[in-house]
Amino acid sequence: MHARYADGRAAIFSDVDVELTPEKLFIRHGARTIDWDYADLARADDDNGRIVLRQKRKPDTGARLMLGGWYDDELKAVAPHLMKPRAQGVEGRLTVAALVTAAWSLAGAFLVGIPFAADPLARAMPEKYRTQIADISWTQVNNFTVQCPDSDDAAQILNDLAYRIMERSNVAERDEIWITIADADFPNAFALPDNSIIVTDELIGMAEQPDELVGVLAHEIAHIEHNHIMKNVIRQIGAGIFFDVVFGGAGAGQAIAIASVNLAGLRYSRGDESDADARGMDYLDAAGISTAGIARMFDRFEAYTEAEGAGDIPTMLSSHPASRERAIAARARAREGLPPSLSARDWRIVQQACGGADTLNEDAAPAAD
Amino acid sequence: MTAEAAPSQTFAHSGKFFNVLGLALKNAGLTIITLTMYRFWARTSMRRRLWSRTWVMGDPLEYTGSAGELFRGFLISLPCFFLPAIFVFYIAPVALEAVWAGWLTFGFYVLSVPLIAAARYWMRRYQLSRTRWRGIKLGLAGSAWGFAAASWGWWVLQLLSLGWYTPAARINRARMMWENTRFGDQPFQFEVQNGESPQKGMWWPFAFGWVGMAVIGLATPIAAGAVSAYVASQIATGEVEYPAYLPVLIGLSVLAIGALGWLLVWAPYNAAAMNRIASLITIDGARFKLRAKTISLFAITLLGWIFVIFSLGLLAPVAGFLQVRYILNRLELIDTPRFAEIGQSVLRDSDSGESLGDAFDLDMGVGVI
Repeated sequence: MHARYADGRAAIFSDVDVELTPEKLFIRHGARTIDWDYADLARADDDNGRIVLRQKRKPDTGARLMLGGWYDDELKAVAPHLMKPRAQGVEGRLTVAALVTAAWSLAGAFLVGIPFAADPLARAMPEKYRTQIADISWTQVNNFTVQCPDSDDAAQILNDLAYRIMERSNVAERDEIWITIADADFPNAFALPDNSIIVTDELIGMAEQPDELVGVLAHEIAHIEHNHIMKNVIRQIGAGIFFDVVFGGAGAGQAIAIASVNLAGLRYSRGDESDADARGMDYLDAAGISTAGIARMFDRFEAYTEAEGAGDIPTMLSSHPASRERAIAARARAREGLPPSLSARDWRIVQQACGGADTLNEDAAPAAD
Repeated sequence: MTAEAAPSQTFAHSGKFFNVLGLALKNAGLTIITLTMYRFWARTSMRRRLWSRTWVMGDPLEYTGSAGELFRGFLISLPCFFLPAIFVFYIAPVALEAVWAGWLTFGFYVLSVPLIAAARYWMRRYQLSRTRWRGIKLGLAGSAWGFAAASWGWWVLQLLSLGWYTPAARINRARMMWENTRFGDQPFQFEVQNGESPQKGMWWPFAFGWVGMAVIGLATPIAAGAVSAYVASQIATGEVEYPAYLPVLIGLSVLAIGALGWLLVWAPYNAAAMNRIASLITIDGARFKLRAKTISLFAITLLGWIFVIFSLGLLAPVAGFLQVRYILNRLELIDTPRFAEIGQSVLRDSDSGESLGDAFDLDMGVGVI
């Protein structure tokens, strides 16, 4: 049969005769006869209408044999493997299965393994790094809140109360936690990596009684005690590195990691929120403060969410499980007849922090002394 | 008889749209389920498909690269690129002072300009070294770092000239690439004849694009503002219901019109630059000629963009195929090189795959730069 042969030494094809015997393929090129083993051959044509054969040996000499597509049957009879996709370099199912396994194992290591190890990693993180992350968070906080020079007394009242609560529950970080009241146009409370807690004046305005606000503070203290903030940062950095490496550095991972140290990233997992709810209510119980306050606060969060929409819900309010379920859980633990956590005088001072919330409820009933 | 007698069409691409689309869809599916790890295999199979349907004087090109090589290149790029990137983006912000971390990030982005140029050169070297025609290998000599340094200088000149150095930079880059390109042991030349300007025919289309961009840059936001103001006035009168998606719709429309305008105003320049560059390339005295036209190039590019955007980049190879087919079916070779005199390449094979090319996603999986 006729074919065309390139010897790899010059950029030309020459006409040759080819003989396909059961043992070998013979190429008669002028006076020369070249023999190729079928087992040593691969296809180089990707089904383009010609059959182009090459030797698999390395280095590739560039020798090529081009048969017309009409020799399919003859070739199939002596070298059926050359008609299979593998001969064209198409990977087998095993390769695909191995890739799927490797990819999902890698995903498991980063997206499950790192979150699993987040607690010890977070505890092992040097103080210096924690401070740096906190600095970034503070930069963000300062972008949309204003420090109030007139809130020192109010902050002191809240810090004294928080210390009393933490002392009862023996919270190890009680000497490091400091509550700051900030002027902002939205209700929010959140903990930062340096164990600071920010409470906005609008959140204070949302509370009608001190126990409601104290319930929120207890929740944030629990996030700090259980190291949820740094665990969250580590989880998100792990996810960021995974996405960067897997997707080829397109920037998705960096975006996740950057978000993790920004306030937007300070959103906790469902497990962390439930944990902080439960631990926060333990503090309240131990300090003799009724959890009915935080239950009412959850009701307000739900009403706020319905009124404002779910688009830009701040940290404490956006958490899942849903506020209604959280309110039910808090109400179930509530005890009757307990005194309010702050005196009426102190509560008024707290309410007046930052000039008082813009939306401060004028009809709020003062708590009894 | 040898194949040196050229057929009527020197260059042709016989790829069928649905054949390529089918492969692209299969690759996209496997890329998703392997969390993108299949991309090396996808790229290889697509290149085999596109190369094997590229006919030069009646004989097909052949792609001899393997997915394993690309994967190895990716593994090489892990310590060379990803580890420094992870340090800069994940560790430095928490381990260093904010100012130093900021400078480090800035330095990383500045360094990435020449790094991307070097990656482009390595990628092209790899692709050419894995491309054969009539068994003869192509290749790219020269230094990637030399190209990177020169590209960085041209980039600075482009910035300083507010873009007006772009045509010269494009010709310079093409010159450096093509003067180092080899077919076997035969170098390509990049020659300007009769004292002509290398950028002949490119300046007026460039000026059209530059001015057009300025007009689009001004007109698009003004038009968006006018539409927004009109809609707002209609809403204010209470005659029109405010749909929640309206701002998104206006934003997307502005983006689409801006992108369309961008494509349209630069199409004459792109066609002129491609034609000019092709006309300056010779091999063994034979000259290339490309007949790219503004409208057809615009249409083919737009179609490619639509595929890329609506498939979130997964069908980018289809866009690449459309471009390759467009160019090859409009490319001519004037005169015939002495192919019998062209011997096998003596350039060393690229053994690091496409390394950083994957990290920067330079070819979006298309496989052709």
